[in-house]
Amino acid sequence: MPSRLTKIGCNLLLGLASSLALADAVVVVSAQSPVSTLTRSELTDIYLGRTNRFPGGQPAMPVDQRENSPAYVAFYRNYLGQTPAQIKMHWSRLIFTGRGQPPRSLADHQAMADFVAEQATAIGYVDGAYIDERLRVVAID
Amino acid sequence: MSRKLPLALLTSLVLAYGLPLAAQANPPSLSLNGFGTLGVVHSSEDQADFVSSMLMPRGAGHTSDWSAEVDSRLGLQLTANLTPRLSSVVQVVTEQQYDGQFRPAIEWANINYDVTPDLSLRVGRVILPVFMNSEYRKVGYATPWIRPPLEVYRTIPVSSADGVDVSYRSHIASVTNTLRATYGQSDATFPYIDAAMDRATAEARAREGLTISNTVEQGSISLFAAYSHYRLSIEDFNPLFDAFRMFGPEGDAIAERYNVDGKTFEAISLGARYDPGNWFVMGEWTQTSSRTFLADNRGWYISGGYRLGAFTPYLTYASQRILSKTSTPGLSQPGSEPLDAMLNSMLQGQPQQESVSVGVRWDFSSNMAVKAQFDHMNHEGKSRGYLVNSQPGFEPGGSVNLFSLALDFVF
Repeated sequence: MPSRLTKIGCNLLLGLASSLALADAVVVVSAQSPVSTLTRSELTDIYLGRTNRFPGGQPAMPVDQRENSPAYVAFYRNYLGQTPAQIKMHWSRLIFTGRGQPPRSLADHQAMADFVAEQATAIGYVDGAYIDERLRVVAID
Repeated sequence: MSRKLPLALLTSLVLAYGLPLAAQANPPSLSLNGFGTLGVVHSSEDQADFVSSMLMPRGAGHTSDWSAEVDSRLGLQLTANLTPRLSSVVQVVTEQQYDGQFRPAIEWANINYDVTPDLSLRVGRVILPVFMNSEYRKVGYATPWIRPPLEVYRTIPVSSADGVDVSYRSHIASVTNTLRATYGQSDATFPYIDAAMDRATAEARAREGLTISNTVEQGSISLFAAYSHYRLSIEDFNPLFDAFRMFGPEGDAIAERYNVDGKTFEAISLGARYDPGNWFVMGEWTQTSSRTFLADNRGWYISGGYRLGAFTPYLTYASQRILSKTSTPGLSQPGSEPLDAMLNSMLQGQPQQESVSVGVRWDFSSNMAVKAQFDHMNHEGKSRGYLVNSQPGFEPGGSVNLFSLALDFVF
């Protein structure tokens, strides 16, 4: 129940914050994951490769949707406040120093929902319509 | 560059570790990435060449009206993830070399072992993190500008060392701290004009090089500090100082003060960046010192930009000043005049300038950006700034305007 409320809350906030077409990027983990909330800076650290762990110490594996897909653009704009070009710039800094590779990229919402559901360490973002009992919505403070 | 890495050793290590792993669940992967810049520069000064590194002999101005040799380069990187903990990176960069030719050179070639997720060791040709942006200083796409501000970045033009690197990351609340120590050596060949006014090259050798750097990141804030220390030798200049020594104790004193023969060279850098998303501001400050004819320098810049959709206009102010004396009375003995003049011209040849740059970056596609930049540089004292190849009609101490266009890409 709380997760459902969180989801609705997230959607409302996102709906206010961005255009409708891009609104529905909700951060999710597997239902088996103990993670239920993250701060914006914790989420940022995970997605920018500054840490490979959740605050509780469990390994974190961020995954992305296709670069420049609406979900990708919405996620980075709404949660990290960054454009795809900035994200590309960030990863080019890490790739060319051999210090990291960007998150694995998945084809679409369905692929991401399935992948995150299967992997207890994964974290991703999907449209609200793709959330089912296998996934938990993560509240972002 | 005469730096040769034991590539055979690297290959055999890759093979030795790679083969037994083929059977594992997480198969070794190989990825190829690349970056590059196609850039042209026009300079208002046609009696000398503007160059973007002291390792380059040719540039914009006298040699060519519009030069593509100043900023253009291509980098290719092969990353091998052998196991979750063991990886290897080889990066080759083709750019203008000390002899004016475009040739590939090995920028990095190392093996990385993650002892823990936050502690990693590297062996081979590793990054020299002397400045905040030095790890990716050649990747034009990774920075807002056409080129990192030379007032800071020119002071140490070498970006790699052959040796070892230890990096330790720690997390305290929402702060990520990365402490890094690099120990190794590097050689660089650089062009200069000799006493007979001919083009020549010399080899600078840095030994026992230690660089300790620390980066603190929290949200949009990044703070950087580094200290570097190495022993520098430029043997090609020893004959000049040997000539001074022939004048007795007074000449010995001058040779000791100004020669570059195993002398300690130190650099301290501080940097900060704030990038909340729609705009950014960053700055760096660096100070170098050595008891050689290479001047003690202080350089700094501050740069900011605002993102308007795909466009990022930016503005930079930068300054480089010499802290040591730029002239010496020399020996002032009969017959020492040519030597004194030579030494004084070397002391005065060090750059001293300030610049204002205004530009715009346009991220027109997901892997590419176009940049246009205008630089106004004022040379101070009798400095030639970053100009080389000066012709008889050149007057030092003036100002120069540059216009640069560049296409940066990554793949």
